[in-house]
Amino acid sequence: MIRKYSGIAPKGDLLLIQKLCEKLKGNSFLHINSTREGGGVAEILQRMVPLLNGLGIDTRWEVLEGDAKFFDITKKTHNALQGNPERFTDEMWEYYYEVNKKNIKRLNLDADAVLIHDPQPAALIDFRKRPPKSRKNVWLWRCHIDVGHPATGVWDHLEKFIVRYDAAIFSVAKFAKSLPIDEFIVTPSIDPLSDKNRDLTKREINAVSDKFNIPRDKPIILQVSRFDRFKDPIGVINAYKIVKKYNDCRLILAGSPATDDPEGEAILNEVKEYAGNDPDILILLLPADSHLVINALQRLSDVILQKSIKEGFGLTVSEAMWKEKPVIGGAVGGIPLQIVHGVTGFVVYSVEGAAFRIRQFLNDPDMARRMGQRGKDYVRNNFLLTRQIRDYLSLWYCTKHRGKNVIEL
Amino acid sequence: MEDIIEPFEFKQCVSIVKSTGQKAVNLRELRMLISQVGDESIFHHIYQYFLKGHMLEYTNDFAQWAGESLEQRALAERLSSIDPYSCKSVNHVRKELTRVIDEHLSEFPEPHDVVTGDEFYFNETISFVFPVGVKTKNLAEFLVAIGHIDEGSIYYHFYDSRVRLGEGIVDDFSRWIEHTLGRKKLADKIRAIDPFMHSTERIREHIREVVEEYVRADMEGVED
Repeated sequence: MIRKYSGIAPKGDLLLIQKLCEKLKGNSFLHINSTREGGGVAEILQRMVPLLNGLGIDTRWEVLEGDAKFFDITKKTHNALQGNPERFTDEMWEYYYEVNKKNIKRLNLDADAVLIHDPQPAALIDFRKRPPKSRKNVWLWRCHIDVGHPATGVWDHLEKFIVRYDAAIFSVAKFAKSLPIDEFIVTPSIDPLSDKNRDLTKREINAVSDKFNIPRDKPIILQVSRFDRFKDPIGVINAYKIVKKYNDCRLILAGSPATDDPEGEAILNEVKEYAGNDPDILILLLPADSHLVINALQRLSDVILQKSIKEGFGLTVSEAMWKEKPVIGGAVGGIPLQIVHGVTGFVVYSVEGAAFRIRQFLNDPDMARRMGQRGKDYVRNNFLLTRQIRDYLSLWYCTKHRGKNVIEL
Repeated sequence: MEDIIEPFEFKQCVSIVKSTGQKAVNLRELRMLISQVGDESIFHHIYQYFLKGHMLEYTNDFAQWAGESLEQRALAERLSSIDPYSCKSVNHVRKELTRVIDEHLSEFPEPHDVVTGDEFYFNETISFVFPVGVKTKNLAEFLVAIGHIDEGSIYYHFYDSRVRLGEGIVDDFSRWIEHTLGRKKLADKIRAIDPFMHSTERIREHIREVVEEYVRADMEGVED
């Protein structure tokens, strides 16, 4: 299966993956998260697990089970880790621990490498089995969320579990903590062969524009994101209104309903009201699995925005760059890591900045094309699934061979 | 019988980033941590800067932070002009960095803090080095190979070699071309490419241009 990425991913990444798989052949790799579907983690695991198995690594993916009460607690934990103040009681932490404990009856934790994703299953480390020394296993905790500035107390509680892992993995250096264990930085990735990112035929793109009645008579500006205040959809409309005074264009705001966000519907209505009856603003509410539609919308657009005011990593930026589109993003979360300002796109700090950069792109198609091409190369070298697999295998291997800064294979 | 030519074996370097958990919010903290962190971290922020593609304004992470986040352009320029390949060791680079920062702090003793999220994060790396399966025995083969290898391979042979070989100015390519192929003039042309002024992709193009010139001359029977 990895062969399918040949000619798409960097040769060195594919080669290193193969070399590491030769070294780790016959070893087992267990991933545990808390959902089989929905969200970026599940999306990546769905693609990564079969690839690893195809490479001779016996890879399993298990899902932690919990009830509504458990997920309510972990949702609060998630929010608090991202900085929102939440109230926790000892009883809540005990319940969290008990649900983890209950899961060990149904989960087989035997593996040479165990990668625990996010806080929900983090307490499983307490039930780690120590195999004989000759077959030392490795437990890794992967944090996918922004824990740079957590609310008081919540990180302290989680840290008690985290420090017992062999290593922790964060998406961005600024999310890392001062911990007594190894901490690796592994950025998230997109799969170039998934429906969301694979090449599309003209017919597939046209089918989407026909289905949603999107005329192609003027430049299209697009933002794909859920209807959430942190994605600043109102700011995007304001930027479009400024641009419209100088350049005729159309704006598409496309997103899925945020089922875990009670504010989602209110914001969607607010956005619709703010857009008024401007026929050049299209608001598309899409089902969560509209990967191919999003792919087509990105490909038929001329400029793609991710004008967030708060963001985890913001992989929609890499998705757009992979399609060679000029991108404009807010200077938050992982967006500046993807957009090298003035090289692969523009980072902006205001509505006016977003409008100014959109106008630049619309008026200088050569620059837009150049940045789009560089953007695709940048994603190829840094944000593809194969690079993430390479990183996981590498850090597994170097956790087993501690103390070396240069490893020759 | 022809002499046996030692082929050039292309290798590649891929680095996995580790966080040290240390961060600086202002220049004084940066100075303190530069003097405390391990050699691996200094090595990463100075030498491995070129592994990133080198598309930014300055020539190392410390200079980039001074220019972008601290908005101290003069300091950024001075930090950027430190030539790590003329330094005898990572510790020597560390001393140069602290010397430049101390000079700046003596003029501006009260540095401001950067906004949250703009701190300098000290990282280090673990590097994997492996052969990419390409060996060349003559210039024509080398010319084809140089166009196809990854940027990580250019980095390994053009930048990393200067530290690995301990001579500062010698890259693997020109070394092989001079010592194995006996083409000193071509080797000198490759050595004349300024490593600080180009992205790894541009370095590849420059090497290709000069090697192509010599391959063409060879085909036309023109002597060095």
